[in-house]
Amino acid sequence: MQSSRNRAAYGFLAPYLLIFAVFWIWPIISSFVMSFQNTRINPWTFSPGANWGRLFSDPAFYNALKNTMIILVIQVPVMITLATIMAVLLNSPLLKAKGLFRFAFFAPVVVGEVAYAAVFRLMFNLDFGIVNKLLNAAGIPSISWFAEAPAAMALLIIAVTWRWAGYNAIIILAGLQSIPDDVYEAATLDRVSKLKQFIYITLPLLRPIILFCVVLSIIGSMQLFTEPFLITNRGGPGGGTETLGLFLYRQGFASLNFGYASAIAYTMAALAIAISLLNLWVGREPK
Amino acid sequence: MKSKSRSAFIRSLSLHAVLIPLAIIWLFPLWMMFVFATMPDYGIFSPHIELLPSTHFAENLGNLQADTDFIRALMISLSVAMIYTFLSVLLTAMAGWALARYQFLGKSLVIGIILGTITLPYFVVVIPQFIMVAREFRLANTWVALIVPPLFNSLGVLFMRQAFSMMPSELFDAARVEGVKEWQIFLRIALPLARPTMAALAIILFLHSWNNYLWPLLINSRPGMMTAPVALGTLIGLTKVSWGGIMAGAVLLTAPILVVFILLQRHFIAGIAAGAIK
Amino acid sequence: MAELSLKGVVKRYGSYEIIRNASLDVADGEFVVFVGPSGCGKSTLLRMIAGLEHITDGEIRIGSTVVNDVEPADRGIAMVFQSYALYPHMTVEENLAFGLRMTGNPKVDTQRRVQRVADILQIRELMKRRPKQLSGGQRQRVAIGRAIVREPQVFLFDEPLSNLDAELRVQMRVEISRLHKELGTTMIYVTHDQTEAMTLADKIVVLRGGNIEQIGAPLDLYDNPANQFVAGFVGSPKMNFMSAEIIEATDHSVTITLLNQGNVRVTLPVERPRGGSGERVTLGIRPEHFVKAGQGDADLTIKVDVAEHLGNTSYIYANVTGGEQIIIEREESRNETNRDLLTVAIRSSHAFLFDSDGNRLR
Repeated sequence: MQSSRNRAAYGFLAPYLLIFAVFWIWPIISSFVMSFQNTRINPWTFSPGANWGRLFSDPAFYNALKNTMIILVIQVPVMITLATIMAVLLNSPLLKAKGLFRFAFFAPVVVGEVAYAAVFRLMFNLDFGIVNKLLNAAGIPSISWFAEAPAAMALLIIAVTWRWAGYNAIIILAGLQSIPDDVYEAATLDRVSKLKQFIYITLPLLRPIILFCVVLSIIGSMQLFTEPFLITNRGGPGGGTETLGLFLYRQGFASLNFGYASAIAYTMAALAIAISLLNLWVGREPK
Repeated sequence: MKSKSRSAFIRSLSLHAVLIPLAIIWLFPLWMMFVFATMPDYGIFSPHIELLPSTHFAENLGNLQADTDFIRALMISLSVAMIYTFLSVLLTAMAGWALARYQFLGKSLVIGIILGTITLPYFVVVIPQFIMVAREFRLANTWVALIVPPLFNSLGVLFMRQAFSMMPSELFDAARVEGVKEWQIFLRIALPLARPTMAALAIILFLHSWNNYLWPLLINSRPGMMTAPVALGTLIGLTKVSWGGIMAGAVLLTAPILVVFILLQRHFIAGIAAGAIK
Repeated sequence: MAELSLKGVVKRYGSYEIIRNASLDVADGEFVVFVGPSGCGKSTLLRMIAGLEHITDGEIRIGSTVVNDVEPADRGIAMVFQSYALYPHMTVEENLAFGLRMTGNPKVDTQRRVQRVADILQIRELMKRRPKQLSGGQRQRVAIGRAIVREPQVFLFDEPLSNLDAELRVQMRVEISRLHKELGTTMIYVTHDQTEAMTLADKIVVLRGGNIEQIGAPLDLYDNPANQFVAGFVGSPKMNFMSAEIIEATDHSVTITLLNQGNVRVTLPVERPRGGSGERVTLGIRPEHFVKAGQGDADLTIKVDVAEHLGNTSYIYANVTGGEQIIIEREESRNETNRDLLTVAIRSSHAFLFDSDGNRLR
């Protein structure tokens, strides 16, 4: 009866669980095992030093890690701040033509990575790119976005921020809209200024959502692949924008060294878990 | 009263003064995509500032098609995205239903694993997935390879589960008392009621599949089986290539999605706001 | 149509007992109401009869079959839910026919049954509407209709009127009563509202904390409550309870003194007095059972805090703040109650005595 009814649950769950087990659980275990195997000889043998030992002495790894961290540390705060500003301003009852602004900020979210990578490559071209032409028109000399590492990094950060700020703004806006109006009405009756309302009511209430966005963005940016692959031409100049994702791609799918790539993947996983835990710690309820 | 409306006016003015330039900057790349797509290559690489569309879209499209069979790639992308969306919504809905509405052995374990894998980087699974699909199953450059592995979707399951658990349980009890079978309850009552959630999820999943780049790049790189993003990606970075053509391709990739986005903005935003998928 | 019986039914979640040893016989065609405060287990008991909850121990019989392991749909029951549970995406007609359609009932028969129900409940003109387009009362009718369509042996109602406003509730109550007379089917009805229980039931089952406290006809419960809980639960306004102490017990009577009411003494007839002098007891008197001073067995003077005049009757509240609140219902002229002190009389024939565990002393 009740138990037979609950047995139906396995039927509903089975197809998904099958896919989940084959294409999620098994790979998670498999890549963990592989990270301890030398996959450059046949058959693969257990040899932790082959990958983990090499990883921590590989300058290319430290370069990719460094680049990824620089992007994280600059891009995530810039983007979340922008996203919060977008969300707060979009939420203002004073705003005219709200739909138009929403479209402007949210549209990049649906644009494919390849399409926007192509556009950014053209826009930031040294001699013919519209960005340099506009800079020149304003009296600023051209920047060689693709030939100098710092400029190339800046380009990646600009591109990723453009693509994902609206995404975070949507989430933050949803959070803003879930704050009941009467809280603000009560504050207004108490003669609390709009700015103070924002600082003392809005921001504290938004904190969990902003933290959620920060974690999502960190984990997303950490896996950055398509942008350095396509925009800065495989991490150029000379590895100046090579990220962990790209480094892993080169090791795993260009050199077909699966064990080493798995070790890189698990390094990313460890970072992701650390960041999630840090978030739990930062976001914990004050005692 | 007067001073209040004046301060509101000033606030409104400064609000628009911030937002209008920001919106223009944000729209600029999209605008330029359309402009580039209509320009001949000599226009794109002219030393002048060109901000207005030209008339060479059809020509660019022809160039693109000459560089790669983009029409075919678009058809593959469209078919894959549709099949994937249908299957994924169905699978996640079924699993979400099971996790929302039944008590069974192992339930909390399943939920725990699904939750635990959410923040795990995709790169952890993509290597063995590639080995398995390409080497062991020998399925590279097939439809199955494009559609099936990405069907796992933790956030979609949680999203559907949330929707089903918010439905009043008396509704399903009423059907049980009437002798309606469990699968009929799911199909005839739960699914129709979850339609808005499924719409939001379907849109996000479709978008995800349509734009997916890394997995199709790895698994389906043979010319005849490339998806549109992969086909376009192979052109970027080539020296002898029509950039107007690439931009025309980018427009073909982007425009349909933008139209859908404008029409179904509400569902899009609902899906993203729920964190359905990144 | 069928009778129904519960024998030693137990429901346990882990070590927590929601239903303890419930036994009950329901005759064919009887209207039984489960009543009790929220959390007393009445809905759980109903859902166990429906087969929506598994029973941990005991036996449920419908007709002559033990249905412990029978699917809800095969028990010959139909259920009306508190939230109506109408399928929001189907029209009224589809709602009525859904169960029959899904279980492969012949089309012609389904149609006939749906039409009959539409006639009985006078909802013909609503058939093409969706639940959203119906008023609360109409939804309730459709929900009941969906139960009737199944032509069940037993109807189960789970607080069906609690979502309606007061006026509609009275109207639907009368309608359910009429339906019971018309169909003559066994009905089991759960409510927390004692007025509904009193007006609808042939037999009331009072539950508290998973225990059946008393089973009986409505007026039986009113006249002869088995314990202090039932006495307090049945009747409106609630019965007054006053702490007392036994000062003398003879073979057929007990004399008590009311501790918080000026030590007034009353002697009550009790068949088998238990305990002796000094034992704490509780005296229960319904608000409507006080009489004019001097006309009863003991006079009681109270200080009036609030007097509510409803026209035909007046409620007088004493000791509102703290202590033992006393409510008196009077049908005398309104002016008489507009003073500070009021003396009323207690009749020992209309008073109940409970021991410290709440058991009735008779």
